[in-house]
Amino acid sequence: MPASEQSVGTIPVAGRNLSRQLVSFTRRQSRAYNRSLTSFGDAFADVYTSVLALGCAAAIAVSFVAALRGEMVRADPLSSGVAVHSPVAMPAGLLWVLLTYGVLTGILMAARRLGPVAVTGAQGAWWLPLPLDRGPMVLPTFRRRIVWVGLGSTAAYVPFSILTGLGLATVEHALAAVTFGACCLAVLGIAALLQPGGGTPRRALAGAFLALAPLAALPALAGRMWPLAVSALAAAVILRRALHRAGAVPGTDLIRGGNVSGHAGASVFFLDTNELLRSFAGPPRPVAASRARRFYARPAGSPFAGLVKADVAAFLRLQPPVVVPLLWLAACLAVLVSDAGLPAWMQLAFIALAGCVVASGMGAVARRTALLPELDTLLPLSPASVRTSRLLMPAAALALWMALLTGTLAVLGAGGPMLPVMGILAGAGMGAGCLRGATRPPADWTLPPVDTPMGPVPRAQLSALLRGLDVTVLSMLPVGLALFVGQAVPVLVLMQAVVSLVAVLAVLLAPAGTGRGQR
Amino acid sequence: MTETGAVLEAEQLVVGYGGAAVCGEVTAAVYSGQVLGVVGVNGAGKSTVLQTLAGRQPAISGEARIQGLLVDPDTVPFRRQVAAVFDDDLFFPSLSVTEHLLLVARGHSLPNPELRVAAELEFFGLDGRADAVPDALSSGQRRRLLLAAGFIRPASLLILDEPEQRLDPVMRDALARRIKDHAEAGGAAVLVTHDPGLLVETAGSCLLIKDEVELVEPGDGAAFIAGL
Repeated sequence: MPASEQSVGTIPVAGRNLSRQLVSFTRRQSRAYNRSLTSFGDAFADVYTSVLALGCAAAIAVSFVAALRGEMVRADPLSSGVAVHSPVAMPAGLLWVLLTYGVLTGILMAARRLGPVAVTGAQGAWWLPLPLDRGPMVLPTFRRRIVWVGLGSTAAYVPFSILTGLGLATVEHALAAVTFGACCLAVLGIAALLQPGGGTPRRALAGAFLALAPLAALPALAGRMWPLAVSALAAAVILRRALHRAGAVPGTDLIRGGNVSGHAGASVFFLDTNELLRSFAGPPRPVAASRARRFYARPAGSPFAGLVKADVAAFLRLQPPVVVPLLWLAACLAVLVSDAGLPAWMQLAFIALAGCVVASGMGAVARRTALLPELDTLLPLSPASVRTSRLLMPAAALALWMALLTGTLAVLGAGGPMLPVMGILAGAGMGAGCLRGATRPPADWTLPPVDTPMGPVPRAQLSALLRGLDVTVLSMLPVGLALFVGQAVPVLVLMQAVVSLVAVLAVLLAPAGTGRGQR
Repeated sequence: MTETGAVLEAEQLVVGYGGAAVCGEVTAAVYSGQVLGVVGVNGAGKSTVLQTLAGRQPAISGEARIQGLLVDPDTVPFRRQVAAVFDDDLFFPSLSVTEHLLLVARGHSLPNPELRVAAELEFFGLDGRADAVPDALSSGQRRRLLLAAGFIRPASLLILDEPEQRLDPVMRDALARRIKDHAEAGGAAVLVTHDPGLLVETAGSCLLIKDEVELVEPGDGAAFIAGL
C-alpha cells in the first residue's frame, strides 16, 4: 500500500506558479498525444479544407455585400421599402445604432450563458479541486476567447460598415470595425464581471444593459479616432478588471459555463440548432412555475384537455423571457420604418429571419418532450392529438407576435386593414414550422452526399437542417407578398389561409416516425 | 478542527434542490480516525448530502464545517482538507492514467510524485494500463483511476459516493482496507454505500436516511441495506 502516513497531513499551498505549471503540463501532454495520432497529411488536409471553405464563404459574402451595396446606393430612400407611406421615418443612423445595440445585447446574453470564464468538464474535475490559485487554470481559455471575440467581431462588422456607411473611405470602415471589436471586448469583460458570485443582481444587469447604449453609438461615429480610443480604453479597463477577478469565479459557475460552452460548441459543429437552443435554455423560472402549478392543479375534463394543460404549464415554465421576441419585433419595425434606403426584399428577408428566430425560440416544450417521446404515449391519445396540443401555445404566441408586427405596420399605412388578419394566420403556420423544427431528428452525417452537376451536395443533411424553417418561411410568404405589393388583397388573404392550413395539417398529420418525438 | 475536535461537523443541515429538501435534517460529527457510513433507499438523498458536504450543492439551511472551515470549495484551505470521489467519469481524453495521477500528486505538492503514482497504480491494479488514455479503459478501471486520484492526495476528510460501484470483489476488499488505513492514519471519511460488507468493515457509525435521518450502528445500517 502507498505510504498511508502521507495520506493525512498538511502540505503547504503552492501558489500561482505551480498552478501554471500544471496547466502547462496538461496542455503539453495533450498536444503530444494528439500529435502522435495526427499525420502531416491529415494536418495539411485540415488546414487546406479550412482555408478553402473560409475563402469560399468570404468570396460569397463579399459578392453579396457588393451587390447589396450597389442596390442601396441606387435606391431612393423615399420610394424604396415596404412602408413608404409611413408617417414615421426613423433616421438611418439611429437604425444602425439600434441594431448595433441589439447585437451587443445579444453578445452580452450569450457570453453570460457561456461563462465567459469557464472550464471544461475534465478541467472542472481534475484542476478545480487542487489547492491552488485558479487564475492560471481559467485565464488561458478566457484570453483565447478575448482574442477570438475581438477578431471575429471586427471582421463581422466590416460588411455591416460597408452597407451602412455608404460614403465612408476604406480607412474609416476599418476604424469603425475595430471600434466595434473593442466594444464587443468591453461587453465580454462586462459579462465576466457579472459572473462572480452566481445570481447576478437585477440592478447590475440593468446597469450593464444601460452601459451598452453609449458603446453602441461609437462604431457609427467612424471617421474619427476618438470613438476608437474611447472604446479601446473602455475595453482595456473592463477586461483588466475581469482578468484580475477571473480566478475568483465560483467553481460551480465555471463548470456551468463550461458545460454550456461544450454543448453549444458540439451543436454548432454538427449544425444542430435544436441542441444549440437546448444548450442555451436556462432553468425554469420559479414565478412562472408557481403560476403554472395553480393552473395545472385545476381538473381536466379529458385526456386531451389534460395534455393541453400540461403543455400550457410547461410552456409557461420553460419558455425563455418575452423580451427576446419583443426585441426582434422592435428591430423589424425599425428596419421597416427607417429611411436607410433598404430595398423591400431585404426588409422582407429581415422579417423572415426574425420570424424564423422567434419561431425557433417558441419550441422549448417540444424540444424537451422530443427527448422523451415515451411521455407522449402515457395518455390514450393519437399522435395527431399530441401534436395538436403541443402546437397550440407556439401557434398562439406566434400569432400574437405576427399580429403585433402586422398590426403596427397597418397602422403605419403598410399593407392595408387586412394585413393583421394575414399576420395572425401566418402565425399559426409558423407555429407548425416551430413544432416541425423542434421535433426534427438530428442530421445523419454518415449519409454520403449526392452527386449533382454543381458537385456533391449533402442533400439528406441539408433537408434535415432546413426541416421546420421550410414551413416557417412558407407560412410567411403570403404576408410578405402582401407587404411587397403594398396591399393585403383578398386573394392574398385567402392564399395565406390556405398555406397556413396546409402547414398545420401537414405537421399534425405527418406519418409517425418522421421526427423525434412524433409518434 | 472544530471546537468539538471533529473533522466534520454538520448542524441541522438541510439539503435539496431549488429550496425543496430531499431528506430530514442532518446533524452529525465525524472525528479523526472515524468513518461514517450513509445508507438509504434510492432517492433518499444520500448523494445530495455528500454533494452538499463537498460544496458542490448549496445547503438549504444549517451548516457544515470541515476542520472548522465552512464548506466552501472555492477556498484553498477547504480544498486542501477534503478529497471527494463521485462517479463523475470526467477525464482529459489525451492524458494517460499516469498523467492524471501525476497532475493530482503535483498539484498537492507531494514529495516524489512519480513514486506515489507508481504505488497507487500498483495498489489499484492499473500498473498494466499506466499509459492508456481513459477511453481505452474499462468502466471499472476508470472507477479505479478516480479512487486512486482520491487516495493519492492528502486529506483530512475523504468523501466517497458508492465507491464500490463497478469494482470486482478483490478490489472491493482492497478498497475497504484502504479506507481503514486512511482512518487509522488519522483521517476521517464519509461513505455512501449499498454494500453491507463494506459498511460493516469500514464504518464506525452510520447515518440511516429515511423520512428522518438517524444515527445507527453499522450493523443496523447493513441490515437495512440487506433488507432492501
